Amino acid sequence: MTGATPYVCRYCRQHSDPTAPSCPRCGAPVDVRASVSRSGWQKQPPIKDMARIQFGRSTLQIEGAYVPVADFALAGDDYIYFSHHVLLWTDPEATLTNMSLSGGWSRMMAGLPLIMVEGRGPGHIALSDNHAGDIVVLPLEHGQRIWVREHRFLAATGNVEYTWESSPVWYVTGSGDDRETHYPMGMFGDIFGARDAPGLLLLHSPGNTFVRDLRPGETLLVQPTALLYRDLSVTMHLHLEYPHSQGLFSWRRYSYRSVWLRLAGPGRVAVQSVYQRPEDAEPITSHSYATSRSW
Amino acid sequence: MDRIECQWCRGQNPPGSVSCLTCGAPLDERNRVSDSGWREAPRLRDMTEFRFFNSTCQVEGELVPVAEINLGQGDTVFFEHHVMLWKDEHTPIAALNTGGGFKRVLGGMPFVVTVAQGPGRIAFSRDSPGELVVLPLHPGMELDVREHAFLLASGNIDYSFVRIKGLANVLHGGGGMFMDRFVTGGQPGMLLLHGYGNVFERTLRPGERILVEPGGYLYKDSTVQMQAVQQKLRTGRLRHGMYLAEMTGPGRVGIQSMYVHHHSE
Repeated sequence: MTGATPYVCRYCRQHSDPTAPSCPRCGAPVDVRASVSRSGWQKQPPIKDMARIQFGRSTLQIEGAYVPVADFALAGDDYIYFSHHVLLWTDPEATLTNMSLSGGWSRMMAGLPLIMVEGRGPGHIALSDNHAGDIVVLPLEHGQRIWVREHRFLAATGNVEYTWESSPVWYVTGSGDDRETHYPMGMFGDIFGARDAPGLLLLHSPGNTFVRDLRPGETLLVQPTALLYRDLSVTMHLHLEYPHSQGLFSWRRYSYRSVWLRLAGPGRVAVQSVYQRPEDAEPITSHSYATSRSW
Repeated sequence: MDRIECQWCRGQNPPGSVSCLTCGAPLDERNRVSDSGWREAPRLRDMTEFRFFNSTCQVEGELVPVAEINLGQGDTVFFEHHVMLWKDEHTPIAALNTGGGFKRVLGGMPFVVTVAQGPGRIAFSRDSPGELVVLPLHPGMELDVREHAFLLASGNIDYSFVRIKGLANVLHGGGGMFMDRFVTGGQPGMLLLHGYGNVFERTLRPGERILVEPGGYLYKDSTVQMQAVQQKLRTGRLRHGMYLAEMTGPGRVGIQSMYVHHHSE
């Protein structure tokens, strides 16, 4: 390392302090080698137990390893927002108020939170999710925006803007009364962006987390529910893959099909190692824009 | 040379010990305490052993740890029957009625616990990633534990239940209608819990308060008062009020980071 070269955290990609025990911007350890697979996935190392992250005049401390807790020490005018079901404990002095979201009916139908809770200091507010996995801290630079799969959001600082959009990935099975629309990665995607100043976004990622940079035009197929977040420059659509089959079972090829999410660069994508496979029970009668492959 | 005092259970250990003979906590690691004052329960190393009475407990695994008990002659442990992982064929077990059967059934609590008697081996685990919390109880202690969190207890511990007072608790608190209460008489006892996710403990000063999601509550000294308090928040499609458990010291409070959230969406 040369003294003239500023240190950039390889995980949050922000200027950081190489002498600190962990990145003060995202909590990632600074003293570990990059763990990169031959295919190019970089493992996001778990944030070290009791690591501290500074934002504004406040501090975030990550506690625990299996199901880590995000413990915010809020000061001054700093505030955070989160879905109420991730609240673990709070000081009585901290203030909790409602923050309503638009699109209530659609969000309710999708099982998404209708109301966020706004937490203000002074005082501590601690959050955790219900899965063994990682807390991923994403510092957002002014103007930076990122897409996150629904239900993975843990918390954000008050200056992070939150919107959501309908999922562009769906398919329909059955007809008539049996018609059913499937959203393999959920009905909505969350979009977060830093408004007037840098902000902090926290996600909970079940299992382990892996990050990869796609080159322009580079494509990748991933399980739809494994996608954690992506840069908005990464495009995505449905991809259907049918294995070669013959003989007695060839007419039931749909039973063995794979429903993929096809990602195309450029940009950063992150996946989690815990996911659910889409149901394969019925033939697809219509779908969103999709590519397909039959073997 | 000075003996080593365990920072978790205060047990005394001979010089050179790397884990506590009484609770298995590592003695060669620093305590992990957050800025807000929560102390992490010690992470028991794989294959750690500790003793109670004539018996030993060996902790096996880390993600969903197993407590393997080698029961000494005459020693007994009791537990909910579905946490048994395996046992020696010849280790005797018996059912023990805890009393309050109908009320406990309504509260979703076991009203029959199973007792195993030594000599023999028997092993226990619950069904989700988490931590074994070893709580050696000194004589005259009372500890309240959330339902279905206890893994096993030594036979000399008195086991009863307490009803959480207040209608709001029953309907909205989420901690269930009952909590297990473990009381020691003139002798010490051994209590093992399984906390989902990570487990943290904090000692509240007299009158000190903290608000905890009821599903995150794991255990408390009986001196800690617990009541449901409604927050000025509306949640979910039916606009439920949100309730948190207000804990008031003095005494210890234990929480778990993976929890079941009740009555909200």
